Amino acid sequence: MSAAPMSAREAILGAVRDARPPAVARPQPLWQEARAMSGLSRLDTFTAAATAAGAAVSPVSTSEVARVVSGAVGQDASVLSYTAHASSTISSPDDPHALASLDVLVCESSLGVAENGAVWVATSDTAFRAALFLAARVVIVVGEEALVDDLHQAYERIDVRSHTFGAFVAGPSKTADIEQSLVIGAHGPKELTLVLVRATDPVNP
Amino acid sequence: MTQRAFELPVLPHEPVDHAKAAAAFNADVARTEWHDEALWFVRVKRDRAAASVPEWEALRARASAIKEHALTHLDEYLVQFEDNAVRNGMQVHWARDADEHNRIVHGILERAGSRRLVKSKSMLTEECGLNPYLEARGIEVVDTDLGERIVQLRREGPSHIVLPAIHLRKEEVGETFHEHLGTPAGLADPTALARAAREHLRERFLAADATLTGMNFAVAETGGFVVCTNEGNADLGMALAPVHIASVGIEKIIPRAEDLGVFLRLLARSGTGQAVTAYSSHVHGPRAGQELHVVLVDNGRTRQLAREEFWTSLKCIRCGACMNTCPIYRRSGGHSYGSTVPGPIGSVLTPGLDLERYASLPFASTLCGSCTAVCPVKIDLDAQLFRWRQRVVEGGHASMAKATAMKASVRLFDHPRLFRFAGAVARLGLRILPAPLARLAGGPWARTRDLPSPPAQSFRAWYRKNRPGGPR
Repeated sequence: MSAAPMSAREAILGAVRDARPPAVARPQPLWQEARAMSGLSRLDTFTAAATAAGAAVSPVSTSEVARVVSGAVGQDASVLSYTAHASSTISSPDDPHALASLDVLVCESSLGVAENGAVWVATSDTAFRAALFLAARVVIVVGEEALVDDLHQAYERIDVRSHTFGAFVAGPSKTADIEQSLVIGAHGPKELTLVLVRATDPVNP
Repeated sequence: MTQRAFELPVLPHEPVDHAKAAAAFNADVARTEWHDEALWFVRVKRDRAAASVPEWEALRARASAIKEHALTHLDEYLVQFEDNAVRNGMQVHWARDADEHNRIVHGILERAGSRRLVKSKSMLTEECGLNPYLEARGIEVVDTDLGERIVQLRREGPSHIVLPAIHLRKEEVGETFHEHLGTPAGLADPTALARAAREHLRERFLAADATLTGMNFAVAETGGFVVCTNEGNADLGMALAPVHIASVGIEKIIPRAEDLGVFLRLLARSGTGQAVTAYSSHVHGPRAGQELHVVLVDNGRTRQLAREEFWTSLKCIRCGACMNTCPIYRRSGGHSYGSTVPGPIGSVLTPGLDLERYASLPFASTLCGSCTAVCPVKIDLDAQLFRWRQRVVEGGHASMAKATAMKASVRLFDHPRLFRFAGAVARLGLRILPAPLARLAGGPWARTRDLPSPPAQSFRAWYRKNRPGGPR
């Protein structure tokens, strides 16, 4: 079961048992009462937070999704798509290294978090997972009804075990490791576009 | 042992003299001031982020309580994590100390035939000295966090757990990249330098045959773990390499997935002032065809857990907020601590590993308590620093000068006549001695301070004169 000699396991667990401080009880959940909502709508809070994280947010009506996604993808780009809103220009490879020069990944998110502008992307697919970080640009489609207020609500909705990999993605990759200067586009994508599909058409409610 | 930035007087097998190393750092006044202001700026961003969450204090209290619960049931949660991780297809290893950890990691690489390892940030592997261990055995080790890559190329260690190259100016990074990555001489633009590093490291990611990451949180209930980065470097490594090793200190276990909501809300806001890092990646099994190994490491943690006065320091989630706010850290630089984890939390954790070597660290503090005020898991850092000072003196590890001075002040305060005499001498000295001489007599304390002008009389004399019938 474990590759190390069992003695290390037993030694550590034994040392932990000997060291255990007096038990502290698990705190009762009290979040619903303790949480305070901001005056802004969920949609506005999400948009502001995602923008602050460096994402470009495009609010659209259902009928506009394909057109806006196509605009975000651009022309002459190599595209891997995991949504019906866009088509792939390449086939999904067995070896993720083949995606080294991928231009765009298009996918969907099942959940967005208003307080921090992150969207949840989960997959057990090797190519999808690699493309999320290898692509120069990432376009994610998320529905307004998929937004929650905060991470507590997010974890109530998602099952982290349903896929081998899942990530909250907040904006494109970034770094401030040189003199605290923010540089967008570190090792992962340089751009993140969020296509936010409005629950009701903003023009014709 | 890696070489330090500007040859601070910190040697591998001698006790760390923090004050002496800090003085060497301070010799570069411009760098010291820049360092101080850069970290204070991060602290200000942290304040803004914390203030944006109305329930911030309730969140801290809950995070602290969850960690205390987890640590006081750690054996149960470790076993639960192991069971679930194995069920998820991971291979779980246990390491009592740094050497065992390094041997396990090397063994995994050797069995897989891996020669090129890309690493994301892991203070645990710094603590274990993994890089030199693997390099001595012919493995190419590339740190991929930009800050860590910079210090690796310079053969230094990180000076901050979240901002590894915060002690360096962009011109110095430019010189390093010119030498190692072939960027044009004089190039010092952060964006251009980061782009060059991106190209250079992209090749390494694609060529790697193994990756090593740390963990921010290991979840007992689900047998998975979470890695938080802004750069996406951990994710590229994990998504591409056929072998993934995740090393973690045993204190990083939390009970449930829902607890992640509490900790992820606190972590980035406390560390960098962001609402959340760009990527909070949850791993619950290997990709198809990938080997995924977890190494659970003790290396002194169970000893710290057994210390009644210090076990709560293991609640630490490594956000770095205590460093950014600490007036000593900001003005002395991370390397002056001679310890993988510097700053207030480092000065509480590291003496537990080797009290003699790190005896000066608990004194690298004004005990102002700012660290305690910003800690997202409410570790009483200033109180623990004060308690370590007592253990240092009891253990006979205080420097001769400090011990003598302490004993002298005890004698002084125990003997009123002596105290009065000393006061008279000090007033006289301040009056008649030239300032430089008086400053010399004042010892290290007086070196950087303006000496007071002496009062005409002592308080005792004043009181006797002005309150003749007053209580004594």
